[in-house]
Amino acid sequence: MSMVTVEHLHKVFGRFTAVKDATFSIEKGEIVGFLGPNGAGKTTTMKMLTGYLPPTAGTASIAGHDIIDQPLEARRHLGYMPENVPLYEDMRVLQYLEYRARLKGICGKSVRQQVGWVVDRCGLEPKRKNLIRTLSKGYRQRVGLADALLGDPDLLILDEPTNGLDPNQIRQIRELIRSLAEDHTVILSTHILSEVEMICNKVIIIDQGQIKANDTPTNLTRGLRAAGRVSIEFKGDLDVVVKELEAYEPVKKVIVEEPLPGGWHHVIVRAEPGTDTREKAAAIIAAHQFPMRHIYRHIPSLEDVFVEMTRKD
Amino acid sequence: MAENANTSITRTRSWFYTLRTIFLREFRSFLGTPFGWVILGCAIAMQGFWLQTALQIMTKATGESIMFYMLDNVNFWFFFIFIFPLITMRSLAEEESHGTMEGLLTAPVTTTQIVLGKYFASLLFYIILWLPMLLYPAMSDLGNLYTSIRYDVVPEGRIDYTPADWYGPLSILFISGVFFIALGILCSALTRSQIIAGIVCTCAIIIYYFMGRVPELWGEFPAAPAFHYMSISEQIGSFTRGLLDTRPVVLYVSLAVLMLAVTTRIVDYRRWHR
Ligand SMILES: Nc1ncnc2c1ncn2[C@@H]1O[C@H](COP(=O)(O)OP(=O)(O)O)[C@@H](O)[C@H]1O
Ligand SMILES: [Mg+2]
Repeated sequence: MSMVTVEHLHKVFGRFTAVKDATFSIEKGEIVGFLGPNGAGKTTTMKMLTGYLPPTAGTASIAGHDIIDQPLEARRHLGYMPENVPLYEDMRVLQYLEYRARLKGICGKSVRQQVGWVVDRCGLEPKRKNLIRTLSKGYRQRVGLADALLGDPDLLILDEPTNGLDPNQIRQIRELIRSLAEDHTVILSTHILSEVEMICNKVIIIDQGQIKANDTPTNLTRGLRAAGRVSIEFKGDLDVVVKELEAYEPVKKVIVEEPLPGGWHHVIVRAEPGTDTREKAAAIIAAHQFPMRHIYRHIPSLEDVFVEMTRKD
Repeated sequence: MAENANTSITRTRSWFYTLRTIFLREFRSFLGTPFGWVILGCAIAMQGFWLQTALQIMTKATGESIMFYMLDNVNFWFFFIFIFPLITMRSLAEEESHGTMEGLLTAPVTTTQIVLGKYFASLLFYIILWLPMLLYPAMSDLGNLYTSIRYDVVPEGRIDYTPADWYGPLSILFISGVFFIALGILCSALTRSQIIAGIVCTCAIIIYYFMGRVPELWGEFPAAPAFHYMSISEQIGSFTRGLLDTRPVVLYVSLAVLMLAVTTRIVDYRRWHR
């Protein structure tokens, strides 16, 4: 059974459609990166999954519980960290987490035990007696994450967990999520691509409310336009080299970039995905005995996938 | 790092456990912030002021209990009308404007539990506001005791009260509070702004108050009994005279239930139609 199934989910705000016909499913144990530009509909989709925003049409279920027919049952299986982490400013960290634990139905000795565990895991120990009002952004984010972890839910939905943090804090949170990955299903939204590349084993790309891709990072980068791209820097007769390169079969196009200082030419060779034109290109340049200082075959990244999927043309 | 997966977690699905959790947080938010203490301070000051007023009046007029003179004046109404919006305006509006409603409604919690938890917390705080007044008789006795020991004379003046004097006014203050607090909670669900919630609630209570006084302006026209029935000023008047009546109980409890039911619908509606 899938941990999350989403079927034809639709959300309309007035006349504006924020999410259009989203259908996907997430298996137990997957770490899913929810990618999209700002305003793509990531938060809206997540809010619908948590049962906070009712969908205009379509449905979803969490651990087999429909979010509309069995909302409480569905919520018992999820831990949610909202975007910007709204908190009660006048409460202390421990007090707040104990309240949240009870709200999630944890009782008796387990309240203390669970709170202790999440405080430990999220590195909140030094701030546990502090008023939430006085916490820095990084610690607020950790309180939100600690809250989501209370009660050890099967599914974690994290909306931009590293938003607004400095690089060190981002790394800490990322390590934390990675350590959670072992025994949880995680959906995290972000617009930081390297983050997804590092921790996710599945990527869903959403743009203007539409799901554009839903696959593993490896599958997504395979067969991309950017995949066979080679960049070369050399000196010598530019026209000759370009002509000879274009004559070579797998090459689709040679793009001449701005010349570099010192008389170096810079060209980018676009070829069929999955081919390697480096050897031939080097041979062409060597045949003319032109000096060459750089030849590099582009390794396609999620960024390329993202740009390709969300381009406006 | 402790391993969580292996430890078993004690969980409950009790409806009251969740209600109690929400209630306690809300109630603590009154006493855990300066806000609640300012209201309490204001209540104590006002009650002292009424007592002072009543004692002044009683040097000239007699015939009614001290509670009657305390509550039958403009100072009391000024307090009574503004105290409900002050207590309730934060409850749901603040939750909505700070975004913490999202945390509540993504936990296994129902809207009814949220509304009732907040309602009972506000009602309890309202009840607490009247407790200082109960101390006046004891304080007056204590003062007299001190005087008799210190100066060896038995003071003549003492605050004249009997427990029976207190039952009436305190019960009508409680019974009407049951409704006005629910009204305040409803107003607080209407908007994200505490200020607007407070203003709407104040207006609603003022309108309700003056509806009860319509017969004073229009005389005893055929529909007048309905206006007498809902007249909070007449109810407080008769209860403080010791004329206890069950009709206001029926009226205010049913109105409160209605208000809370509507509030629950509004909170849901806000999410379904946005
Ligand atoms: N309550 C709302 N009312 C109207 N429009 C909204 C509301 N919430 C979000 N939107 C719109 O829906 C779109 C998607 O928003 P969101 O899901 O927050 O995007 P993301 O999280 O991907 O940045 C945005 O254009 C936003 O303006
Ligand atoms: Mg967002």
